[in-house]
Amino acid sequence: MSVSQCPVTESILFIDDVIGKGGLTHPRSRRIAEEIHSLLDDVAWGRAGDDHLPAVLSLIQDLLQAANEPEGYRLGEHLHQTMQMHGEVFESHVKTHNCPTETCEWLTPAPCQMACPAGIDVPTYVTLIGQGRDAEAIDVIRQDNPFPWVCGLVCTRPCEFMCVRGRMDTPVSIKFLKAFAAERAMSEGTYRNPEKGPDQGKRICVIGAGPGGLSAAYYLALKGYGVHVIEALPTAGGMIMVGIPRYRLPREVIDREVAMLEELGVSFAFNTRFGEDVTLDDLKSQGFAAFFFAIGAHKAYNLGIPGEADFPQTLEAIDLLRRVALGERRMPGRRVVVIGGGNVAIDAARTCMRLGCPEVTIAYRRTRHEMPADEEEVEQAEEEGIHFSFLTIPAKIVGEDKKITGLSCIRAELVKREGSSRMSPVPVLGSEYIMDADVVISAIGQKVDQLCMGDLETMDWTRRGTIDVNMVTMETSIAGIFAAGDAVTGPATVIEAIGGGKRAAEAIDRYLLGLPQPQMPPVPVRRRREACIELPASTKTVIKRPTMDMLNMDRRRTTFQQVELGYTENMVREEARRCLRCDICRRCGKCVEVCRDKMGISALELGYLDFDHPGPTDLRVTEERCIACGACAANCPNDAMKIEDRGDERLLMLCGTILNRQKLVYCNSCGKAMGPMKYLDYIRKRTKSVTQVPDDALICENCARTKTARFNVHTLPV
Amino acid sequence: MSQYYLFQDTKKCIGCHACEVQCKANKNLPVGPRLCQIIQVGPKMIGGLPRAAYIFMPCYHCENPWCVAACPTGAMQQRSSDGIVFVDHNLCVGCKTCISACPWGAPQWNPETGKVVKCDYCKDRVDQGLDPACVTTCLTHCLKFGKVEDMTQIRRDRHAQTVASLEHCAF
Repeated sequence: MSVSQCPVTESILFIDDVIGKGGLTHPRSRRIAEEIHSLLDDVAWGRAGDDHLPAVLSLIQDLLQAANEPEGYRLGEHLHQTMQMHGEVFESHVKTHNCPTETCEWLTPAPCQMACPAGIDVPTYVTLIGQGRDAEAIDVIRQDNPFPWVCGLVCTRPCEFMCVRGRMDTPVSIKFLKAFAAERAMSEGTYRNPEKGPDQGKRICVIGAGPGGLSAAYYLALKGYGVHVIEALPTAGGMIMVGIPRYRLPREVIDREVAMLEELGVSFAFNTRFGEDVTLDDLKSQGFAAFFFAIGAHKAYNLGIPGEADFPQTLEAIDLLRRVALGERRMPGRRVVVIGGGNVAIDAARTCMRLGCPEVTIAYRRTRHEMPADEEEVEQAEEEGIHFSFLTIPAKIVGEDKKITGLSCIRAELVKREGSSRMSPVPVLGSEYIMDADVVISAIGQKVDQLCMGDLETMDWTRRGTIDVNMVTMETSIAGIFAAGDAVTGPATVIEAIGGGKRAAEAIDRYLLGLPQPQMPPVPVRRRREACIELPASTKTVIKRPTMDMLNMDRRRTTFQQVELGYTENMVREEARRCLRCDICRRCGKCVEVCRDKMGISALELGYLDFDHPGPTDLRVTEERCIACGACAANCPNDAMKIEDRGDERLLMLCGTILNRQKLVYCNSCGKAMGPMKYLDYIRKRTKSVTQVPDDALICENCARTKTARFNVHTLPV
Repeated sequence: MSQYYLFQDTKKCIGCHACEVQCKANKNLPVGPRLCQIIQVGPKMIGGLPRAAYIFMPCYHCENPWCVAACPTGAMQQRSSDGIVFVDHNLCVGCKTCISACPWGAPQWNPETGKVVKCDYCKDRVDQGLDPACVTTCLTHCLKFGKVEDMTQIRRDRHAQTVASLEHCAF
């Protein structure tokens, strides 16, 4: 079996092959093989229930027991081996309706969902938001991510980078649609927790109230466990509270979403640092059955340059952000240099600007192109008047009398290094210069604080200083202790922490129930197959991604008010309608091939078949040449392309986008719809050589036949 | 015209539709497509008695088939050896032009496969020297399949009998 192929489809093809070759001579084994085939078909087409796989297994046993049929035995053995080796894949097909190898046509997932570290069913919730069903959309999102509002404001949106619409014009604004729906649902009081499972009678301790810890807490609470969260900071949220500044993520948003957890019965102990205020033995004696560590990566890396430890004005960005988040508003100094190129550097710089620093510069070793920070954030920082000094390597912090006077820097040039995808900065000899500064802030990355974990001596750590876990189950080297979030991945994103927390919750549940842990990383669940929103191709094409309204510049430079003001309701509903519904259309291109190569019409111009060879895509040109024959619809495996007679029109729709609509022509005799004129013309043109039907005789084939039949009846001897 | 002729003795036919059932079973067709059809005409009162006729209508396998001309993909073909008109399912894309072009409604739509299916006189069976499926199951033996030249004789005999009986003729 090739690596890319799915064992479900492979098994079906194998049975096809065996039956087709006629090897099964005994009717009984042929019937069993056909039954297995039909059950596996159900699995591959998303119709299977819980009883399907047990039924397949017992039918395989029947095959293996039929002694007089060597071919049947061979088939049974092959299927048995496949099911043994890939049992989890079969189960995941039934449970998630998702075939990540994209082999099973009906189960091929959307790229956005596969890109999301939490595996949110994006097309479904975007469609729901497009229909104004905000609360339902939030319910769908919260099945995979308990913080749609937070993520709607600060997610790094890997989904949008994979968005197929981005290959046509710009990606759907997936991120913010969530935030709008969450805000609306919260304000209308329809943002509700799902039904809690029956009480399991066990308590779990979560260490760290960041996105990872809280996600695990949420899913564990829903499963019916008692969850207690301990947190070193005086407030919940972790890095999203003390790492992300308030102008990007208002505190109220975090508070409201965390309050939803408290409603589920999750209890919190703040100002409690693990390893200092409480130890593992303390917690164990309180009767917790499992532990989940999501302690984050809050410790800054040192710059490692002379002078770093000599001046009190050398700050760590993460420390500054924490203090400001907790209420401090003191200006660190007049001339600030932030060293680093990531989001934390930008956040620190923009925070300094808001604290009143008149001159803020970000010094980065490489160029803008290599900056790991979010493009939009870099732009916003620039708008606010942050200076950038690229290709700048800090060499030494200089000053006198315990006061910084400047940062000694060396200019760099970028060199391509063997074995590295990123360009490396190399110092230019003799280019040292002094950058004036009162304060130097380092923002070159964070690591996990291992100190607090001191009494967990058997815990394994990676070379990067993160907790070593099994990435499928998030189990650490100590039984009953799980970990996720930045503590495992190193400084990463909110959504990755949420995905990790969710995975850990699943594994903790299995651990406590004594179930075996999965070997295969979890597959995102396709929650629904929501009907598509109908709209004309011209509208679908013309709608543009809205531009975000921003707070005015003076306020952005002086206050911590939210910078992005959000979309209006109209903008959100329109934007959601731009979604191409890649959960239904798998972009296999069969429709285009049939129309162009078989029918010779070439009406469809859909070029987004693959990333590497994008062709032009225009939904609007279809109607120019399309004859509404429906061959594309007949060949679509997923019902994405549909042809339908409605009223006095024939409609051709791709995932709800009306590609073509043509008036129907009716039979002069019985009034039956015969199809649009273009279609009839096409047929007439092709049959011209053999028929003598006058052009104006609009009679359907049934009427023509009835007439002829009647004629025959009268002439035949009855 | 194909070399074959499928003759229906309308006098014997009782309209039981067994031919249709057997046809669908043989081709494994879902609800919908009917390759051969019994069309009922009547009942009408003739000479004070109700009379009904059942006309068997398969594909006529025309000499110049409009469906073959209409098909843009070359799926609808006429077999050169014996003139049977059939669909190659590997080539059919389901544009339905043949369905619209045929004046007899012979090509049928198979919603399960999204392709056209039509009567091909069971050419696989004919090639093995067997009769088409519909013929094998006819209860009253009113369907007969064979070469055109053999078929004319039956009708000629029938006509001669009718003439000879003198009961129904006008002279």
